Amino acid sequence: MTFEELEHTADVRMRITAPTLPELFAESGFALAETLYGEYQRDAATVSFLIEAEGKDAEEKIVDFLSELLFLTETEYLVPVSFDLAADGNAVCGTVSGVLFDRTKHAGGIGVKGISYSGISFTKTAAGYELIIIFDI
Amino acid sequence: MNDQIRNISDTEWEIPQGFVSGMRVPGTFFLSHRLAEGLEEGALTQLANVATLPGILRCSLGMPDIHWGYGFPIGGVAAFDEDEGVISPGGVGFDINCGVRMITTALTAADIPDMKGLIEDLFATVPTGVGSKSPVRLSQHDLSNMLTDGAANAVELGYGMEGDVRRCEERGAMPGAELEFVSKKSRVRGIPQCGTLGSGNHFLEVQAIDEIADPATAKTFGVAEGQICVMIHCGSRGLGHQVCTDHLKVLEEAVKKYNIDLPDRQLACAPLHSPEGEAYFGAMAASANYAWANRQIITHLVRELLVKKFGIAYEEMPLVYDVAHNVAKWEEHEAADAAAGRSRVCVHRKGATRAFGPGRSEIVQEFRDAGQPVIIPGSMGTSSYLLAGTTTAMKRTFGSTCHGAGRVQSRSSAKRSLTGAAVASDLAKRGIIVRAPNAAAIAEEAPDVYKPSSEVVQVVHDAGISRIVARLRPLGVIKG
Repeated sequence: MTFEELEHTADVRMRITAPTLPELFAESGFALAETLYGEYQRDAATVSFLIEAEGKDAEEKIVDFLSELLFLTETEYLVPVSFDLAADGNAVCGTVSGVLFDRTKHAGGIGVKGISYSGISFTKTAAGYELIIIFDI
Repeated sequence: MNDQIRNISDTEWEIPQGFVSGMRVPGTFFLSHRLAEGLEEGALTQLANVATLPGILRCSLGMPDIHWGYGFPIGGVAAFDEDEGVISPGGVGFDINCGVRMITTALTAADIPDMKGLIEDLFATVPTGVGSKSPVRLSQHDLSNMLTDGAANAVELGYGMEGDVRRCEERGAMPGAELEFVSKKSRVRGIPQCGTLGSGNHFLEVQAIDEIADPATAKTFGVAEGQICVMIHCGSRGLGHQVCTDHLKVLEEAVKKYNIDLPDRQLACAPLHSPEGEAYFGAMAASANYAWANRQIITHLVRELLVKKFGIAYEEMPLVYDVAHNVAKWEEHEAADAAAGRSRVCVHRKGATRAFGPGRSEIVQEFRDAGQPVIIPGSMGTSSYLLAGTTTAMKRTFGSTCHGAGRVQSRSSAKRSLTGAAVASDLAKRGIIVRAPNAAAIAEEAPDVYKPSSEVVQVVHDAGISRIVARLRPLGVIKG
């Protein structure tokens, strides 16, 4: 796991690191999913969806990507188990695969209302990328 | 407390201009000395950031439940001039018209020997938590009507009584809803979630009124000692969240278009009468109306269950009031120079409650002389309060007060230091039954992670921005 929860009084603040941009997006997706569902077994995928996001800068791109993923979790009852993504210029696109929400397996988390720009930080590091982001609860 | 902050009185503090660059007005917040010890620097900065926004009037205000939010702090209030001011989703929140309502019942605690059974039944009846689906089947047409007519539409569909609507702030429907600015995505999220509680700090609580502080006003509001009440706290669900997400994107661009200099990206905004600002207002008003309908439907589900379980009449469970916590509204307020009379301003309340004082025409006739009912929920193990709005609030806070206790401990820290089972067990020993989809949800929302509701409410009472009418003791809670 390459994400960890940081202190925040009301919401969920995450630090996510990854060696490449597509992996950073994927790990951010898992950070969001584990906030929603608690830790869960990543079973073999039964459904998949196209996911696309864009933004003028990295922060907008990641907020848009996670907002799209949040939309899929709420409307398709998607619990992601894998991402196949490509990040290019102002866009990120690819496939998210997963299983359908099952209350007996995925009821360990908390609802996320939105992806916040407050305190967002996207940094290129020697090892790759680091993102700090807040999920509004 | 930061040494730049000036203490004005036992309940009031000031952030001087210059605390952050570009402040147009000072910041004012209401806290006791004891509560001030725990105030986060981040919340102070956010309160000061709000004071940099164009057209802000008098001061950026913080209520005693103030804590670190995004854009505005939670507990933040600001009013903006109609011509010079802006509207910002950061001053409303993702959960547009998150709010609270309470109904009274003809029951007393003695009528409910099995509180655990009642809480289990309520948990089974009211869809709660991540992944829950509503029993209500809405068509696109129904949803459109709901976005325009709010609580009245829910009543029309059979979820409530006619008298409910007039007991809601704005009579359960804000004017100005513009459906064309509510995206298809928002509608897709909204249809299956109408009539669901959600999660996080949302709850449904069975309470008993255990102290009356103002008998005359309590009588006016229809509450009496010993009465069982039900309090419901939730908002506009995914529909409102999506509206916020969609319009933040638009307003990010508007900031550049209108050359607005912002200290925080989450304060993205646009002039009130710009196309972008009016589009957000129209979508926000529609979301607020959806939230009133949502709480109305949940109220109906609760009433039906209580009728079935206890044989009381549906009509014996009137709504006391329903207030919004996260909203921006056009209101008439006195100018700083009283001689200038009233002017139309846009008041943002982000985790704050309207608390209009006696005589205001917006208050339903039967409560107008007493002041608007204000409902302040506690935290699972602590009391909730019914208060009344005051003339002082009209003068000092644009008719606003606090909205709850306010968190002091992070969710991650709560989960590290507490277990849900231990919190539930401790509450059970105090006669409070808690039910949630998972143990972590109980730990994250434990009473200890919030400021004591009694202290927060005492500050608004002592500051004169609302006055205590009655106290409610929790007996059973459903957390989302």
